[in-house]
Amino acid sequence: MPSHVPFPATDVTAPAPASLDVAEQLLALLSDTTTEPRPDDQLEALTLAVAADLPVLLWGEPGIGKTAALTQLAESLELPLTTVIASVHEPSDFSGLPVVGDDPAEQGVPMAPPDWAVRLVRAGRGLLFLDELSTAPPAVQAALLRLVLERRIGSLQLPPGVRIVAAANPRGSAADGWELSPPLANRFVHLQWTHDHDVVLRGLGGTWPRATLPRLDAERLPAAVDRARRAVCGLLTTRPALVHRLPTTETRRGGAWPSPRSWDMTIRLLAFAHAAGSSGEVVSLLVRGTVGDGPGLELLASLDRMDLPDPEELLADPAGADLPERGDRRQATLDGVVAAVRRRPDKSRWDAAWALLVRALETGAPDLVVVPATTLATLRQEDWDVPESIERLAGVVTLSRRADLSRERAAARTGDPVGADR
Amino acid sequence: MNAPTTTAQPTGAESTGALDLDKLFAARLHAARVRPYLATALFALHAVESRQVPTMAVDRHWRCYVSPGFVDRTPVEELAGVWVHEVSHLLRDHHGRGDRVARERGLTGPGERLRMNIAADCEINDDAYGEGLVRPEGALVPEDLGLSPGELMEDYLRQFRLGPLTQELVWLDCGSGADGLEREWDLGPDGAHGLSAQEQDAVRFRVAQGINGRPGSAPAGWRRWAEEAFHPPQPWRELLGAAVRSAASGAGAGEDYSYARPSRRSTALPGVVLPSLRRRPPRVCVVIDTSGSVSDAELGSALLEVAAIARAVGGRSDMVSVVPCDAAARIVHPLCSGEGIPLLGGGGTDLRTGFAKALGTGPRPDVIVVLTDGQTAWPDTRPPCRTVVGLFHRNRGSRWREDDPDYVPDAPPAWARVVTIGSPGAH
Repeated sequence: MPSHVPFPATDVTAPAPASLDVAEQLLALLSDTTTEPRPDDQLEALTLAVAADLPVLLWGEPGIGKTAALTQLAESLELPLTTVIASVHEPSDFSGLPVVGDDPAEQGVPMAPPDWAVRLVRAGRGLLFLDELSTAPPAVQAALLRLVLERRIGSLQLPPGVRIVAAANPRGSAADGWELSPPLANRFVHLQWTHDHDVVLRGLGGTWPRATLPRLDAERLPAAVDRARRAVCGLLTTRPALVHRLPTTETRRGGAWPSPRSWDMTIRLLAFAHAAGSSGEVVSLLVRGTVGDGPGLELLASLDRMDLPDPEELLADPAGADLPERGDRRQATLDGVVAAVRRRPDKSRWDAAWALLVRALETGAPDLVVVPATTLATLRQEDWDVPESIERLAGVVTLSRRADLSRERAAARTGDPVGADR
Repeated sequence: MNAPTTTAQPTGAESTGALDLDKLFAARLHAARVRPYLATALFALHAVESRQVPTMAVDRHWRCYVSPGFVDRTPVEELAGVWVHEVSHLLRDHHGRGDRVARERGLTGPGERLRMNIAADCEINDDAYGEGLVRPEGALVPEDLGLSPGELMEDYLRQFRLGPLTQELVWLDCGSGADGLEREWDLGPDGAHGLSAQEQDAVRFRVAQGINGRPGSAPAGWRRWAEEAFHPPQPWRELLGAAVRSAASGAGAGEDYSYARPSRRSTALPGVVLPSLRRRPPRVCVVIDTSGSVSDAELGSALLEVAAIARAVGGRSDMVSVVPCDAAARIVHPLCSGEGIPLLGGGGTDLRTGFAKALGTGPRPDVIVVLTDGQTAWPDTRPPCRTVVGLFHRNRGSRWREDDPDYVPDAPPAWARVVTIGSPGAH
């Protein structure tokens, strides 16, 4: 066995104080940076997922500030941060080191946890950041995943106050081909960590962003849970195929995919995001990172529809109606109103719908009103008189006719048959 | 009609010819009627009157700036075409893609942004018109620049320079939504009626859903867009690399812990057996389909790729072997740097002989990588090692046999990981 020499025994009594002092000054100047508040969607999404106690996996190239973000997150959540670089550890560091006691045959060999785990358990709370998950050998990764999913290190059980975030390099850039199997991928919230060019430029110039972190509003909690459950259940009622869909293509391997487990996570995240009053961007990051892009977008689209005004409320008070500004949402609202009249047709509702259409015409683009007006006209029953307000919609008829004439001219110029709707 | 709309904002006192909103919206209605799958996107656009825009232009927040004079002098049916054209820029994310291309290829300056606008116009215009939509006067199609239709903005961008052919196009300006360069008329991210990134995604998603729901009614360009809108194809090199790397570094090969030799820590724990980190370079065997249906260029690029990956995961070049295979597998070649491999053959394929050869010679490989066009028979049973199939992309049409129209080649078996090589549309 080679002899162990800790340090070369050189003379350390003669430092160069003057030049190092100047260096210290320069270092102090360089580290003298300021921060500015700046909304940061990905940090907000990360915060919410950590607050919701779901394991997060950050995917991002090395050197783009994942560690810095975690430091900031730990500060704002007032959790002590423990960073473990997975690639420099052995599997036994996570599954526990076997320690031989007095009588192994009688008492067994206990698996001793590493010191940082003991400290975490003693503190009872903390943020555990498992960095460089993807560059660790497969056996280490296997040990780590047990830590993430079962929260056990050797014989130690991590307390509930400990939150876990892992980071990995995208598999295209990982040196060894680590990738998550679908069951594991399904347990994580996958967040893509990218850098914002402007933020980096300003940061290197001396001003780093300081994200204002979401605060949960205690009064909104019951509504948030209700809304989240309604959104997910509503979507899955009409789209049962989305409940469980294993990724099949090579492109989607290792990413988020929908299953009852990840939908449950989605409900949790939606409720947290709603209680925190988060923006659509943050909700989008979280939802797509949990059930995948396709199902996530479907859920977002149905959330968008949930936020449209209720047709019945609009019909009850057409004069005070507040129609959405955006054209496509406004048309969807008007279509909803007409559909509501069709479901339960009576004269007063029909009149109210006309009043709404007039209101829509007065406050927005007229072409949106054409289709709902045409449909509403067909719902008329013989004994119903045409309301006076309908005259104000005469312009819509003209507009519709003008578009038709334009189509005829276009068809004549391109040589296509008219009328055949594509 | 006397609708005082909030849609257009008056610009200043001089009002020689206000914006003819009726004409503009009749054109939008025309566009939505002949392209119902674009209706959501068309209606989501917010029209803003602007006297600085030469014609119509969009910004990256889905506002559409309209010149009143342009509306006056353009027939309604042509305006409908312009609406579809402008909304296509936004749906296809030309500004985002323009920014990415600019970063990747180091393209700076207004000249390059003009080229992006032209290339984006070519991508849109080659199949946007016809079937009820008139091509607006002056709209550029790829043929005008001597290019072939059906390609993407990124591809067109490589194929032309500003010059005599584009001389008359310098007026062309579809706004920052088309090429990513801010214009002086842009209201910016904080202006009213902009769509956030998530809202834009939602609109794109609805349009894509509409197209996928009724695929017969949209032209091929839109169908391709809808299929890829939220799942852009990944470059096959990356996917093949990930598959091979993952297969080659799995248990038993690559770098992992093993009990074959005691750990260095064992000295500190007498009596306890700890595993140690061992490296065993993976053996990779590449079975190459050399039947006539695979071109040399395809094979060459795929083979180089596999060899590079095998080296990257720690395989020495003598650990990578190659089995050229058509109807019969011939011999196993070691892959040594600088040595060409004779790719014999050219007839039909039976990859089963290739598998047998790969497994039967010398030490068993850890990974078999098969490069084929898929027109072959596959082994009935799973081979005793990981298998990655690089499948050369073929148009569906060429998969049919002329003499037997019912013939469909077997798909690669489920136990293999399949990566489609050279699939189109990879941005």
